Amino acid sequence: MNKYQLVIMADDKQVVLERILQVTRYRGFLINAMNAEVNTGNNVATITMTVSSDRPISLLIDQINKLIDIKDVKVDASPTKIPQCSA
Amino acid sequence: MTESKTLTGSALLFEVLKEHGVQHVFGYPGGAIMPIYDALYDSDVKHFLCRHEQGAAFSAVGYARAAGKVGVCFATSGPGATNLITGLADALADSIPIVAITGQVPTSAMGSDAFQEIDIFGLSLACTKHSFQVTDINDLEEVLYQAFEIALEGRHGPVLVDIPKDIQLAAVTQRFDKLSHLKNKVKLPLADISKALELLTHAKQPILYVGGGVGMASAIDEVREFANKTGMPSVSTLKGLGAINPDNDNYLGMLGMHGTKAANIAVQESDLLVVVGARFDDRVTGKLDEFAPHAKVIHFDIDTAEINKRRTADAAILGDLKGNLPLLTMPLAIKAWQQKVQQMKTDFAWRYDHPGDNIYAPALLKTVSDLMPSNTCVTTDVGQHQMWAAQHMSFDDPSNFLTSGGMGTMGFGLPAAIGAQISRPHDTVIVISGDGSIMMNIQELATIKRYQIPVKIVLIDNAKLGMVRQWQDLFFDGRLSETDLSDNPDFVMLSRAFDIKSQKITKKSEVKAAIEEMLDHDGPYFLQVKIDATENVWPLVPPNTANDKMMEGV
Ligand SMILES: Cc1ncc(C[n+]2csc(CCOP(=O)(O)OP(=O)(O)O)c2C)c(N)n1
Ligand SMILES: [Mg+2]
Repeated sequence: MNKYQLVIMADDKQVVLERILQVTRYRGFLINAMNAEVNTGNNVATITMTVSSDRPISLLIDQINKLIDIKDVKVDASPTKIPQCSA
Repeated sequence: MTESKTLTGSALLFEVLKEHGVQHVFGYPGGAIMPIYDALYDSDVKHFLCRHEQGAAFSAVGYARAAGKVGVCFATSGPGATNLITGLADALADSIPIVAITGQVPTSAMGSDAFQEIDIFGLSLACTKHSFQVTDINDLEEVLYQAFEIALEGRHGPVLVDIPKDIQLAAVTQRFDKLSHLKNKVKLPLADISKALELLTHAKQPILYVGGGVGMASAIDEVREFANKTGMPSVSTLKGLGAINPDNDNYLGMLGMHGTKAANIAVQESDLLVVVGARFDDRVTGKLDEFAPHAKVIHFDIDTAEINKRRTADAAILGDLKGNLPLLTMPLAIKAWQQKVQQMKTDFAWRYDHPGDNIYAPALLKTVSDLMPSNTCVTTDVGQHQMWAAQHMSFDDPSNFLTSGGMGTMGFGLPAAIGAQISRPHDTVIVISGDGSIMMNIQELATIKRYQIPVKIVLIDNAKLGMVRQWQDLFFDGRLSETDLSDNPDFVMLSRAFDIKSQKITKKSEVKAAIEEMLDHDGPYFLQVKIDATENVWPLVPPNTANDKMMEGV
C-alpha cells in the first residue's frame, strides 16, 4: 500500500467533508489521518488528509476534483511505502 | 426582467423553472411539498402526475434523453424522496441532466426524526452529481440556478435540491439572473493533439470506439464526418448506438458482452482505438487486460477522471469533442483493413432464419425497426429483450434509443417512454419491455391512461427473468432459481383495465400485421409477444473473458 498526503481546498459548504469522505471510501482509499480548518475570512476550508491504497492516487485526485465545491487538490509529499496490513 | 419582486419560495421555484424554459414536470405530491404544489396551481408549467416517484424520475430521464433538455421531477419528503433514488442513480450512471426537487420537513423539525423526515441530502451524495439543501430562503434562487447549470455543465448528471417546507413558504425577493455562477470548474490539461496525430498517421488497423458522450456533446455530425473522412471502421457502446449512421459500410455495430462478432474481433485486432465519449466499461471490455491488447489509445472525453481510469491513454484529449475531433479528421490509408473488416461484417451478419412457427424475438424486433416511422424513439427495459433491441434495431440518433446502460435498471422503459413522448409529441415512441421489467413500473399505465399518451408497448414475454435464466443455464448448471414467471398476469386484460388497446400474438405469421396495427393505432397500444422461454442472447462473452472468445448459439 502507498501512503499519500492530500491537501484539499474547498468552499466551506454544508457536507463538503461528507462528500470527500464518501468519494475517498468509494474509490478504495483508507483514511489514516485527517484535519480540517476553515478560514472564516474567505470561507475556504483546508483539509489535509493522509490516505493509503494500492490504487494510483491520480484516481482519487480526479474524483475529488470533480466535486463541485472543491477548489484545489494537491499531493503534498512523494508517496512512501508503508508496511502491509498497517492502517 | 430586471426589477425585483417579492414572492414565496415556492413561487420563486416556478419563476426559475420558467427562466430555464421548463414546460413539463413529473411528480407526486405529499405533505412536505404542499406549498410547491399550491404554487403549481398558478403556474404555466404542465405537471404530470406519475403513479410512483420512481416513475416520475424515469420520466424526467426519458424526457431529458429524448429532447436533449433538463428533465425535472418533484417528490415529497421521506418515502417520496427515497423513491427517487433509483432514478437518480440511473441518471448518474448514464450522465443524464435532471433536476429533482424534494420537499423536506420544516427547518425547525429537521434532525428530530419528524414524520416523513429522511436525510435525503445525505442519501443523495452517492447518487447525484451534486445536491443542495436550502436552509436560508435567500439562497434559494441561486441554488436553483446552479442546479440547472451543474446538471448541464461538463459531463451531465442529476442534481437534487431539498427544500424544507418553511423555505417553500418564506417570502423572498427575486433577483433574476444576477447570480454567481459556478466558480470551481475543473481545469482541463492541454490536449495531446500532436501525439494523437502521430498515432493516427501510423495506425494500420484503427477502430473508432463510440460512446454515449457523442450524443451528449452534440458531436454526432463531427463523429460521422470523422468516420467518413478517415474511413475508419467503427463500433459503438450500448449508449452510443445511433451516433454512427447504421448504413456506414465500415460500421460494425455494438461491441462488448453481447456485441457483434465482427465488432469484437476487429477491436481485438486493432492497433489503435480512437475513443470518443466512452469509458471502457466492463460490459464493453470483457477481461480488461486482454481488451484490444495491441492497440494504442487516443481518448477523447469531457471528464478528466475517465482518462486512465481503466485503460491508459497514449494521447488524451479532454474537452469539447465537437471542437477537438475535427483537428484529427483527415483521410487515412487503411484500405486493406477496411476490406478485412467489411468481409467480417458480411461473414458474421445476423441471420433471421429460425425453425418453427414460434416468434423469434430478433426477427420481430428487426421488423418493428423496419416498419417504424423515421425519428421513432425506442426505449427498453433490461434483460434479453434489451440486448435483442440493441442488436437488431437500427437507430439514426442516440436520442432515439433510450436504454438504461450503466445501471441496467429494470422498470426504466415504460416511464422513460412517457417522458420521451411528452417531450416529442409528434414522434412515435415505442417501449420494448420484458415480462419481468414491465411489472416494476406497471402503475405508469395509469399515467398513460390519464394523459392518453400514445406510447406503443411491445412486451417480449418469455414468462421468465430471461437474462438471469440464461446465465443460470450457462454458468450455474441449469439450476433455475427464482427466474420463472409462468404465473404472469393476463397482460391483455391488464392493459384493457387502463383503456389501452391490446393484443397478444404467438405465431410468426401474426407478426407483421400486428406491428402494423400497433403503429397505425392513434393512441397507446400494448402488444404482448409470446416467445420461447429457452431462447438465448448470442453472441455472449462470458464473464472475465477476452471479447474474441465469445460463445455463439447453435
Ligand atoms: C431493478 C433490477 N433488479 C434486478 C435486475 C437483474 N436483472 C437483470 S435482467 C433481469 C431479468 C429481466 O427479465 P425480463 O424483464 O422479463 O427480461 P428478459 O430478460 O426476460 O427479456 C434481472 C432480474 C435488474 N437489472 N434491475
Ligand atoms: Mg422475460
